[in-house]
Amino acid sequence: MSDPASQMPEDELLAAECALGVLAGAERDAAEGRIARDPGFARMVIAWEERLAPWAAEIPEVPAPPQVWDRIAAALPAQKQNAGWWQSLAFWRGLSLATGALAAACIGALIYLGNAPSQAPLTAGIDGGGHRHFVATVDTRNGRIAVVPAAYSADATREPELWLIPADGKPRPLGMLRADRAVTIAIPAGLATLAVKDATLAVSLEPAGGSPTGQPTGPVIASGKLTSL
Amino acid sequence: MDLDANRNLIVAALARIPAGDRAALQTVYRLTSAKLFGVALRILEERSEAEDVLQEVYVTVWRKAADFDAARASPMTWLIAIARNRAIDRLRASKQSRHTAPIEAADDVADSAPMADRVLENAQDYARLHGCLDGLEARERTALRGAFFDGNTYEDLAARMNVPLGTMKSWIRRAMIKLKSCLQQ
Repeated sequence: MSDPASQMPEDELLAAECALGVLAGAERDAAEGRIARDPGFARMVIAWEERLAPWAAEIPEVPAPPQVWDRIAAALPAQKQNAGWWQSLAFWRGLSLATGALAAACIGALIYLGNAPSQAPLTAGIDGGGHRHFVATVDTRNGRIAVVPAAYSADATREPELWLIPADGKPRPLGMLRADRAVTIAIPAGLATLAVKDATLAVSLEPAGGSPTGQPTGPVIASGKLTSL
Repeated sequence: MDLDANRNLIVAALARIPAGDRAALQTVYRLTSAKLFGVALRILEERSEAEDVLQEVYVTVWRKAADFDAARASPMTWLIAIARNRAIDRLRASKQSRHTAPIEAADDVADSAPMADRVLENAQDYARLHGCLDGLEARERTALRGAFFDGNTYEDLAARMNVPLGTMKSWIRRAMIKLKSCLQQ
């Protein structure tokens, strides 16, 4: 039997053994240490992994149980700000499908933000005439408010405008809403401290582009108080 | 082609993970977890252990995604290597013996037809490897199978095939040399 080392350098044989996984104990530890500090060796291991990987086609796929993903998500570091559910259109679309889902969705949001209880989101059902026209959720941490249409139906000539009415009773304009989709509004810096629990959100009907005066000019059709869940 | 589309989806999602994009990790998980769970389950045999390993694999992917270089390795190769390594780590750490039944070269039929696979690169890579494996001696192929699919060590394989450790090492090493040479042609 010829000496294999004469046909392939010892380093590459070790890389092959490493990729195949036949090493154990101190040999395996040593090889892994070498991968970490020797890029040339690491490349040889990758090349061997490439050669062998197609073999895995023979291994049948087995769906993992759903709780595995939940465990992975829980093991990740805390979520960065400005990422995740707030940007998720799907989240808001799902929410807008049924206001009945409000409680569940907001509990979901609360769980997401559960690591910052002092900055828990606020929510308001904006109701009028026995209908819930919009649902608003305030992301106090990022200074944004998301408003999802519910039973509101578009007015032929006027557009819905959202107002914040804090304890002083004076309406401050927040922005225009849409009948057909959720909108996200950045709360103006001067108003952030006013968008708190028990402040009122109201919707008036205004000319296209919004009230020309800075105060509601059309009828206020719906309102609701911000509450923390 | 679906395979390319899948590959591109995985590569694109891996590229978004270093910025902290959890949805990207979930995309990778959705596209690849069934294959990696199959790999871990094959090595470990115990579902609960394979689930633990699968969790470790994707947490590793989350931490190491920046190391993945699409120019150098295919995403599935990278992911399968992580899954095999984690499963083998677990296997080595456990006291429980697995995949220890004697195997004989004659047992190895190596007759699997190339399988359509949702995430693996393509049938040509598989066919080429399969053709080269067919060119090995039966005992070499059997030993390689035990290592790749069962996570066996040299010692395990020597015991299962009832040969001295040194003999097993030289079988495997000769097989790898022949394999590389064949795959290069």
